[in-house]
Amino acid sequence: MSWLERQSFLGPDSEERLNDVTVAIAGLGGGGSHTAQQLAHVGVGGFVLVDDDRIDNTNLNRLVGGTRQDVVDAWPKVDIAARLIRAVNPDARIRCVPRKWQEAVSEIIGADAVFGCVDSVRAKDELEAFCRRLLIPYIDQGMDVHEVGDGFLVAGQVVLSVPGAPCLRCLGVITDEALEEEARNYGAAGGKPQVVWPNGVLASTAVGLFMQTVTPWFTPENLGECFEYDGNLHTVQPSDRMRRSRDLPCPHRSTQDIGDPMFDVRRMVTKPPALHRAEATEVSRVVRRPWWRRLLGLSSSD
Amino acid sequence: MKITVRIPTPVLEGIRADLARPHAFAGERVGFMAAAAMSSPGTLMLLVRGYRPVDDDDYNDASHVSAEIGAEAFRKALQWAYRPRSALLHVHSHHGFGKPGFSTVDLRSGSRFVPSFFTTIPRMPQGMVVLSNDSAAGLVWIDEHQDPITVGVFAQMGRRYRRDWSAS
Repeated sequence: MSWLERQSFLGPDSEERLNDVTVAIAGLGGGGSHTAQQLAHVGVGGFVLVDDDRIDNTNLNRLVGGTRQDVVDAWPKVDIAARLIRAVNPDARIRCVPRKWQEAVSEIIGADAVFGCVDSVRAKDELEAFCRRLLIPYIDQGMDVHEVGDGFLVAGQVVLSVPGAPCLRCLGVITDEALEEEARNYGAAGGKPQVVWPNGVLASTAVGLFMQTVTPWFTPENLGECFEYDGNLHTVQPSDRMRRSRDLPCPHRSTQDIGDPMFDVRRMVTKPPALHRAEATEVSRVVRRPWWRRLLGLSSSD
Repeated sequence: MKITVRIPTPVLEGIRADLARPHAFAGERVGFMAAAAMSSPGTLMLLVRGYRPVDDDDYNDASHVSAEIGAEAFRKALQWAYRPRSALLHVHSHHGFGKPGFSTVDLRSGSRFVPSFFTTIPRMPQGMVVLSNDSAAGLVWIDEHQDPITVGVFAQMGRRYRRDWSAS
């Protein structure tokens, strides 16, 4: 009997489909570790785990799979997630990339879905733009704790972003004000308050959206989704802003803006070198920005 | 090299609907997909941005093959794919179910006309795709003088993401 027997309602070939799929998870902290664990349990076969951070003592309140010994050893978060996945599915194909996602483009490009579990607003913005260019479903999750009066409000959202559907900017998840505020802090999202259970709710919602996208157990009515989480009322609801934006064209991300406009297939063709290196004409060396940074108008140093 | 072709579901549905239309005398219809490209080491992604049917008047009345299109059809397709610069993928359907295969005629004619696309659009890969009702097969040339490479993965993107081109 298959270890996935109890989820056969997902579709007659769902086990095979899920095993064939490769997901990329950018950010393996509180949200990403939950997501990785659940994706391992449902039988996803391929993982690209991207995070340049190592666990520290303040992560133990929410990083699923993290241990005190990991803190002592200062383990990379990607390795903790890989260990978690392998404990469930030893056959999983796992690629650990202990770098920022912007330096893992070659690994992410072949993914069938990307989970954005990053804190930075700018990183969300760039990652979504990257996925839209590649026609990859992007599932963003984020939570915040706001001080309201004498108390706190725990809130968050999960967005399934696909070409033709409203984007994170349409939905107000990314705003110019938030980008500017982050830029004033030199790009740091800061040590925001975070707790384990809202991350679990958001990760579960994100994995649910992924499952309805890749398996036939349920036919989604809509292209793209956004769910809003109220951690004080313990509710997850479809976003009203998504409902209002759904039939409007996204003004931020054109469906025609796909691929690399600077692409040249001739660079992929292996040809015999015409000149020995010593004989080659000296050329000026220009620091070349990666294509996706050129497209987003970012310099090499941003 | 691993080649993946990704297509938005509405574009794929439009292709299937167009190719299923009867023609006055041609036994089947053909069309062209335009695709953006992106690569990483060992990987080439072709991202379909649109479809252009062959106009009814651009089919030749040829009895020896199911469908034959003339130079004007290729000229229009290349002009369409020229800007924004796109890979041009010739597409037709064998209908039925299961993994389709190119016929001998498909392969012989394709190996002549697809490499000629490089003359107009040398920066992009070029190719040909054959559909069934639930699958696809494809060949992509990255150089006009080299053998084509088989497409490894077809993925469609819509309300559902699938690593094949079936309808459900």
